[in-house]
Amino acid sequence: MGAAPAALKVAFVDKGGAGKSALAGTVCRQLARRGHRVLALDVDTMPGLAVSLGMPPEGARLPAGLAERVEGKGWQVVKGARPAQLVDRYAAWAADGVRVLELGKLPGQVEPSVTVAFRHVMERFRRPGWTLVADLAAGTRQAMFGWAHFARIIVVVADPSAKSALTTRRLLPVATHLVANKVGCASDLEAITAAVPLQLLGAIPYDEALAEAERRGLAPIDFAPDSPAMIATEELVSRLIREAS
Amino acid sequence: MKIAVIGKGGSGKTTVAGVLARCLARAGREVVALDCDANPNLGISLGVGLDMTEQLAGIRQSLEDGGVEHAPTPEELLSRFGAPAPDGVRLAVVTKIDQPNPG
Ligand SMILES: Nc1ncnc2c1ncn2[C@@H]1O[C@H](COP(=O)(O)OP(=O)(O)OP(=O)(O)O)[C@@H](O)[C@H]1O
Ligand SMILES: Nc1ncnc2c1ncn2[C@@H]1O[C@H](COP(=O)(O)OP(=O)(O)O)[C@@H](O)[C@H]1O
Ligand SMILES: [Mg+2]
Ligand SMILES: [Mg+2]
Repeated sequence: MGAAPAALKVAFVDKGGAGKSALAGTVCRQLARRGHRVLALDVDTMPGLAVSLGMPPEGARLPAGLAERVEGKGWQVVKGARPAQLVDRYAAWAADGVRVLELGKLPGQVEPSVTVAFRHVMERFRRPGWTLVADLAAGTRQAMFGWAHFARIIVVVADPSAKSALTTRRLLPVATHLVANKVGCASDLEAITAAVPLQLLGAIPYDEALAEAERRGLAPIDFAPDSPAMIATEELVSRLIREAS
Repeated sequence: MKIAVIGKGGSGKTTVAGVLARCLARAGREVVALDCDANPNLGISLGVGLDMTEQLAGIRQSLEDGGVEHAPTPEELLSRFGAPAPDGVRLAVVTKIDQPNPG
């Protein structure tokens, strides 16, 4: 028997609005349909992954009190709070068997004990055969504070805009791979790849079906499973799997 | 008159703020545009270009790093790390951007 395949752990970062959630949600569903056990983590404090996964927008969160402040040691996860058990207990179910955990909305829901426990789950959840996919907050802040470090593959999603180019440049120190999204023509793709010196894992076309799915609050994979963008994300999923092994 | 533009990521805050600033300036008002985003890009919507937008964020960061002494008055701050934008708008980045290398 060969060694177990390396776990696929992916984080999505971007400028905001470039398509992290749409792509991350679709990737989770497609991985699950290929037989992967998937844990989807919505780390964005303006959460949106649930909708892209095709579930009600009220996501499942960890309760407060799973971490506490210890004299001289700062915040610590309480004894017995094992990542796998926390996932079993608190993660919601999405279609195709995807499990989903959400950090929570700002302001209000993200108190320190929840943040500490959530990060603990991200970094310590190691169940053989499971894939982790995280959708981070827009911009550079979370990524710069190590919220993508759990992942082996840190995908920066770039669209053809100048603002996206600017943010993508700022994210270069943490990102490992590039996905070009909302690609309208060959020159869009050239502009993105010229601006970003990272390995390209996928080029997803601009697809009106995704915009329409968003208007209706549906997951793209449920609304338009055969649309060009969904076909392109299948290719992205294949490359992600290859890249992880 | 002081206007703040807020909303969901990607919904058009920066675009609207940029257009508002330019329109108000064209209507004869003196306009200061403040980029309060930790990932500042208002310069692009105002039309100062990619390089100047990046430069402004850098100047703000060096202020945080102690490269430049804090100036005492808002006017001095503006003249130090503000930049002229089209239609006479003045643009300043007021948030600290994060260090590129954590840990
Ligand atoms: N009315 C509009 N029609 C078409 N496109 C628009 C409109 N308003 C904004 N956009 C586009 O939407 C994208 C996001 O806009 P913008 O950068 O202003 O959003 P933002 O709210 O500032 O996002 P962030 O939270 O990431 O800073 C840009 O590509 C912009 O050109
Ligand atoms: N390939 C695409 N073609 C057309 N629209 C897209 C595409 N990818 C994403 N979108 C749309 O762009 C908007 C922002 O996407 P979203 O995934 O919410 O971005 P993020 O999570 O990065 O802020 C949504 O309205 C989404 O439907
Ligand atoms: Mg999102
Ligand atoms: Mg903005």
